[in-house]
Amino acid sequence: MRRDLWYLTLLALGLFFLFSGGTSEAAVYTQCPCYLLDANGNPDPSQLDPAKGAVYNPATGNVECSYTDALGPHEVVCKSLSAGDGHVYMADRDRTGADPTIGDTYVFGFSDVTGVANDEVMMVGMLATNISAPTIHLKEGQEFYLSLTNVGMIERPDLFDPHTVHYHGFANAAPIFDGEPMASGGINMGSTFTYYYNNVEPGTYMYHCHVEASEHMQMGMLGNLYVRPAQDDDDAAKALGNPAYTGFAYNDCAIPGDPLCGTTGYHVAYSLQETGMDPKFHHADGSYNPLDFASMDDKYLLFNGRGYPDTVDLNPIANIYGHNSQNTNALITATQGQKILLRISSLSTTDFFTVTLLGMKMRVVGQGARLLSDPYTTSSITLGGGEGVDVIIDTTGVASGTYFLYTTNLNHLANNGEDFGGMMTEIVIN
Amino acid sequence: MDNLLLKKGRLAIVLMIVLVALFPASAKAVVDGIYGETLGISTTFNLTVKGGTISMSDGTVSYLWGYADGNGPAQYPGPTLIINQGNNVTVNLTNQIPTISGNPQTSVSIVFPGHGVTATGGVPGLLTREASPGQTVTYTFTASQPGTYTYFSGTQPELQVEMGLFGAIVVVPATAPDCPALAPDPVAPSRGYAYCHPDAYFDREYLFLLSEVDPVVHRLVEQGKMSHVDMTSRHPTAWFINGRNMPDTMAMANASWLPNQPYDSMPMMHPGEMVLMRIVGGGGNLHPLHTHGQNHLVIARDARLLRSAGSATVDLAVSDYTTTSVPGQTVDAIWGPWTGEKLGWDVYGHTGTEPGICVPGPVPPTTIDANGFDINTFEYCPDHGKPIPVKIPAQSLMQFGAMYGGTPYLGVQGDLPPAHVQQNPMGGFSYMWHSHNERELTSNNIFIPGGMATMALVLPYYDMDGNPIQIP
Repeated sequence: MRRDLWYLTLLALGLFFLFSGGTSEAAVYTQCPCYLLDANGNPDPSQLDPAKGAVYNPATGNVECSYTDALGPHEVVCKSLSAGDGHVYMADRDRTGADPTIGDTYVFGFSDVTGVANDEVMMVGMLATNISAPTIHLKEGQEFYLSLTNVGMIERPDLFDPHTVHYHGFANAAPIFDGEPMASGGINMGSTFTYYYNNVEPGTYMYHCHVEASEHMQMGMLGNLYVRPAQDDDDAAKALGNPAYTGFAYNDCAIPGDPLCGTTGYHVAYSLQETGMDPKFHHADGSYNPLDFASMDDKYLLFNGRGYPDTVDLNPIANIYGHNSQNTNALITATQGQKILLRISSLSTTDFFTVTLLGMKMRVVGQGARLLSDPYTTSSITLGGGEGVDVIIDTTGVASGTYFLYTTNLNHLANNGEDFGGMMTEIVIN
Repeated sequence: MDNLLLKKGRLAIVLMIVLVALFPASAKAVVDGIYGETLGISTTFNLTVKGGTISMSDGTVSYLWGYADGNGPAQYPGPTLIINQGNNVTVNLTNQIPTISGNPQTSVSIVFPGHGVTATGGVPGLLTREASPGQTVTYTFTASQPGTYTYFSGTQPELQVEMGLFGAIVVVPATAPDCPALAPDPVAPSRGYAYCHPDAYFDREYLFLLSEVDPVVHRLVEQGKMSHVDMTSRHPTAWFINGRNMPDTMAMANASWLPNQPYDSMPMMHPGEMVLMRIVGGGGNLHPLHTHGQNHLVIARDARLLRSAGSATVDLAVSDYTTTSVPGQTVDAIWGPWTGEKLGWDVYGHTGTEPGICVPGPVPPTTIDANGFDINTFEYCPDHGKPIPVKIPAQSLMQFGAMYGGTPYLGVQGDLPPAHVQQNPMGGFSYMWHSHNERELTSNNIFIPGGMATMALVLPYYDMDGNPIQIP
């Protein structure tokens, strides 16, 4: 059901004034060493510190800087996310635009507010949810400052839910930065929590909100997260590829003479996250109704928050309000002879899924954010929620054309009532 | 969520942590279970099938058929049978299932996957010999290989396993001369081992027997309407670890208010300790079991180490943050160790001036090992004294969970806002271990959180007063 935009705007403004009223108690407060300080001595996201070489990297969406202090040298990246609600379109939407309610889905989620001034984060972040959540790109050795601002659920003003980020798989996690709310805490509306992660274990991870996880994760607070290895700077290792590799999934040459050396090398890399949405649950949540956890049953199955054919649409998808709420696609392209790294993860809240790839073999080289000591070749990958693998696809000798990667849980190859969609995407070999 | 925890779990957890301090240091953590009567190399268990009640964390109950230890109460799950490798095992199973008007008479039995079993007595059944009501059937086998096994009903198992007739078996590896290759772990001689292999050393072991309940099935059986049960439409709505839902998983073992669910699931450990997870798929569904805090290394499946023929190591072991538990399958994994290393800040909240910590010297006697750890406290010394890099928001801006210690630091308990429940008085680091099919964090449609989840707890070696913390 379409909601009255004016009503929402009023609510949004109300929240904005409530939380931007200048009290020191509730305030957006971004923490990142790459920013200059404002007049109050607080980091100002709109001012990069040139003395630390701070830049915004459009390829990763991170602010980066480096400096040395009493503790030693630091390589820092920063990102700011907002957490709240919004809308997305599922792939069974009416592409003629005649009925904008078809496929319109109420969601919770994250939005990227990196570089937004503190006093603008609430307005920029409200109803700005992205599905998938913005992909977090990291590299081994980087210290990561992640500022999470809770902008409130604008269409559910009766909810006072905190939000968190759970960096799923982070080694030796400390609860304060683990985002699991029973063991730590979540941030309230109008306020900011900054997570700190020293990234020493490369690999494929994922992230999600862990507050009332059965609800918040079904509602869409899910995203890709990976850490590139230090070996990406090793030209000798890269030269093992022909042409030279552009990167690796893991430090597979760390042990001299290891036969695994070079096995995770790739020329192009993509992240694919398997998720799903239960339209009945989302409708209940968006219409103030009791939530039926026991009957939760995903009817929209997604890669990176989209069902086929939206998975292969390179353009952002605008939601019912015209906001670009689905900015991550799942199209994979490579040139014949290249090796493709696929970082496949699942954050389904309901099911295990198997995906298959026609025309090429997949070689599983990593699992659980670790180099696999016994890599294997397969045509199918089965993942439950919270599981992830790294797959290398060698396109040597593969004819140019379009190849399909899709779930073999064939009843889920659908966009709700519409057949032949859902959890499917294309690999285009040029 | 907090209110329910307050009612159901607070006392239990506080009690449990108080108990931590009472146990002697020498107590070796083993999974709860029964040892039967052992005479020489013969071990006998007398199990009885009885009726009972499963209490779920949403406050509802379901009717239970459970294996009981002799004359004891029915258990959900059945008693964990702990057996020494090489012993000849006899299981006498007596059928005392309550007769409910309307239901047919029910025979019962047990199958033991992974063991060569001889069945005697009772009556012939499809999968094995069965005990008719009032009868006893006897199963014998030799526990030749160590590891984690399961047992469950072989009679109408689709219904009887759902009703509660399943359990776990731990076969403890023999000592020399049957385990001749295995010397005590040179790093920690007190460590046990799950298999006759150095890759299977552990400091503590915990059982994770996963199951589900569809209350509709249990209700129909209880009401004498067994003929109405259609297992093809089974739809579980409650999920269990060791027969309990979160937060009851964290209540103490043998809690008086859970008479048919004696087993808890609350792993506790010190930094650096290897925790053996014995994961058993006891229900009808797959579950992705996720461990917060650290990866776990899957070393064995169905009681066999994951190694190639002739390999000297467990070369097929896989480190993962989430492992799929499959119905009827067992998996052994070593969690951790959680060390807190390389976080870039001092997780103990030290300023660097504390005497004797990470500073080698005779008083107190401290050294730093080759990996950078203080051998007394297991603190990672390269991060010693480094401040936490971010400011934590004021407490009024956050909502805290019951297992938050009150500060970001390990072993440093802090005050939380007034009226806030706090169940972690020693300021341990707590981690949810749970099914990552997040739908299963509910109990009959109630998010408490409930379902298939528990909280692991890492406790430092010393409390804030410098006294050693003992874990049972």
